[in-house]
Amino acid sequence: MDLQTKIENNAIIVTISGRLDAVTASDYEKKIRELIDGGNSYFVVDFEQLDYISSAGLRVLLLMAKLLKEKSGQVCFANVKGNVQSVFDMSGFTSLFKMENSVAEALAVLS
Amino acid sequence: MPGKNSIVIRLVLVITFSSAVIFAVTLGYNYYQSRVILQNELESNARNLAMSLVNRVETQLTAVTKVTEGLARSMEISELTEQQFHSLLRATVEKNPEIYGSFFAFEPYAFSAKSRLYAPYYYREKGKIAFDRLENSYIDYPYPYWDWYQIPRELGKLEWSEPYFDEGAGNILMSTCSMPFYKEIDGKKQLQGIVGADVSLDALTEYISSVKILRTGYAALLTRNGTILAHPLKDAIMNETFFSIAEERQDPFLRELGRKMIRGETGFVHYKSLVGFTSWMYYTPIPSTGWTLAVLFPESELLENVRKLSMTMAAMGFGGILLLTLAVIYIARTIIKPLQLLTAATDEIASGNFEVMLPAVRSNDEVGVLTHDFQAMQASLKEYIKNLTETTAAKERIQSELKVATNIQASLLPRIFPPFPDHPEFEIYASMVPAKEVGGDFYDFFFIDEKNLCFLIADVSDKGVPAALYMMVAKTLLKTEGQRLGEPAKMLASVNRILAADNDTCMFTTVFCAILDVTTGEVRFANAGHNPPLIIDSHGARYLTPKSGLMLGAMTETVFTTERLTLEQEGTLFLYTDGVTEAKNPEDALYGEERLLKALQTAPQGDLANMIHYISSEVVHHAGGAPQSDDITMLAIKMKTNNVSMEVAGKGA
Repeated sequence: MDLQTKIENNAIIVTISGRLDAVTASDYEKKIRELIDGGNSYFVVDFEQLDYISSAGLRVLLLMAKLLKEKSGQVCFANVKGNVQSVFDMSGFTSLFKMENSVAEALAVLS
Repeated sequence: MPGKNSIVIRLVLVITFSSAVIFAVTLGYNYYQSRVILQNELESNARNLAMSLVNRVETQLTAVTKVTEGLARSMEISELTEQQFHSLLRATVEKNPEIYGSFFAFEPYAFSAKSRLYAPYYYREKGKIAFDRLENSYIDYPYPYWDWYQIPRELGKLEWSEPYFDEGAGNILMSTCSMPFYKEIDGKKQLQGIVGADVSLDALTEYISSVKILRTGYAALLTRNGTILAHPLKDAIMNETFFSIAEERQDPFLRELGRKMIRGETGFVHYKSLVGFTSWMYYTPIPSTGWTLAVLFPESELLENVRKLSMTMAAMGFGGILLLTLAVIYIARTIIKPLQLLTAATDEIASGNFEVMLPAVRSNDEVGVLTHDFQAMQASLKEYIKNLTETTAAKERIQSELKVATNIQASLLPRIFPPFPDHPEFEIYASMVPAKEVGGDFYDFFFIDEKNLCFLIADVSDKGVPAALYMMVAKTLLKTEGQRLGEPAKMLASVNRILAADNDTCMFTTVFCAILDVTTGEVRFANAGHNPPLIIDSHGARYLTPKSGLMLGAMTETVFTTERLTLEQEGTLFLYTDGVTEAKNPEDALYGEERLLKALQTAPQGDLANMIHYISSEVVHHAGGAPQSDDITMLAIKMKTNNVSMEVAGKGA
């Protein structure tokens, strides 16, 4: 997994690529916790380059949403598709998170 | 103990050998150079000695020559009467002790027309002067035929005869110096006769023989013909010539040397003397007689001092090398001793005894540094071993605890098949293979009343101990809530509420939960984010498409929906976790839902255990040795075709 962040319109855009599974989930969790503890409240997670997500990956996404909820923040997912989309569908995540087809649209939703 | 290759022995060998070689070369060069210097000096010494001897001989011979010349001149200038030249001869012998005898030998009829030959001769005999007439002494072989007469007569000048023994004159070795004298007649020089003086060579040869050079060196005298006149080989004197000896010894070098001598050459040669020792010889002619004088320096005696010096030096050198060797042994021992102690100590360490005392560091040299490093290494090794022992013990404890946990977890899942032998109307089989010691997957089945069997499969997010703990809670809750509520959607909603409250870690579990009416085959089911199960019946194998509900523990208020289907006789429901579909091969390709569907279509349908084992082996085959990354759990339930089931169902109703 590779994770990159950038700031745009007061929101953090998190781009993840590769696999988000039991091995890499803790890295993601650590990074996200740092960002939230650093005072960031608005996130866009770009799934464009993510190949695979496991239940451990879902857990850290849930955790992220929960942490943001405490701080009255928001997260919006962008470019969820393919394998990841079907996992989201199956696990009911589709109804739990805001999802948009592009980073720009996701940013628009947050603002 | 160190073997033959020990540093001490090598050091001693190398240093001793090197210094021995250096010393031998130096000594050899010194010896050689001394010889060269000695030889150069020798040549001039030999020349000086030879020249002084020649001068000495020459002085004696010249005196005789002068007397002879004086006699001849007196005969030529003065008209001496017979009486007068008789007294002249007598006086000559008397006044010249070196002269043995003297004579005038006239040409035939030159003295008197009456007598053919006339030769008065005065000589010494027993301390007195005696007189004789040579024409009477030599009757058989008259004097004009003798060399001492013929040669100066023919050459017209003074000549020394070859030395000879004069037996008549007291058996002494002598040589005659003779020269012609003339008379002027009608303005023409006319030969009158030969005047001569006999010289005893005994004194001369004795003098030459008495010359001692070093201890055994000598001087020698050879005549013009190479005849030996004076030499330590007494037998050879007047009996042998240089050439006869060369011939006898088959020595061409000696012959060539002889030729050079009689040619009147001067030389300095290194050769083996007639006496038989190697020597240096200087030879030079005696000008007046053409004889050769030689002086011999025996080489062994010449080099004796050099040799003695060399021997002394060799002895000193040997002593020095011995001393050096001892010093090297001492130094090497001093260096090696701590090394040996260190080696012994490190041998102990190598064999596993880390408590051994290393030798104390006494110096700051390399050995000291090495010892210090070994001490540091020993300390860190001890520390490391201690830590490793502790870590290993801790790890073993955790391992054994995990093993117990594995057993506990396994014992929590129903493992006895068939679980309900008195319910032949359905068949159920399940298996769970954890990826780690303990897993997050689980399945369960239990009757909530006489005819309703609840069965479920679940997957807790993540793996390992946290997942296992969460699984215990989830499983317990599902069973109690299942038995209390008897309705899948309500069960899931209730359990979710409990799990979602205070769920700080956001752990969650997906669950597919169903309740089968074993009498009718009716299945009520609800899904909490779990993989869709498959149904295999007369229409073939296919995936169910349950409404997707959110997994348990994610959100407090989640609503689930109960759906229904009827499992026909011989129809099977196949539940699984993502450990099946997400099993990876070494190329990271997932097993996938497509392969699972196909595998189920070809799987043996008769016995559920066989079917599940078949799918297991297919998944293992797909993985191709890649490590299992997730728990693999499967559960299958099947309605059986038989009337017995209906009867039992009827009874139950």
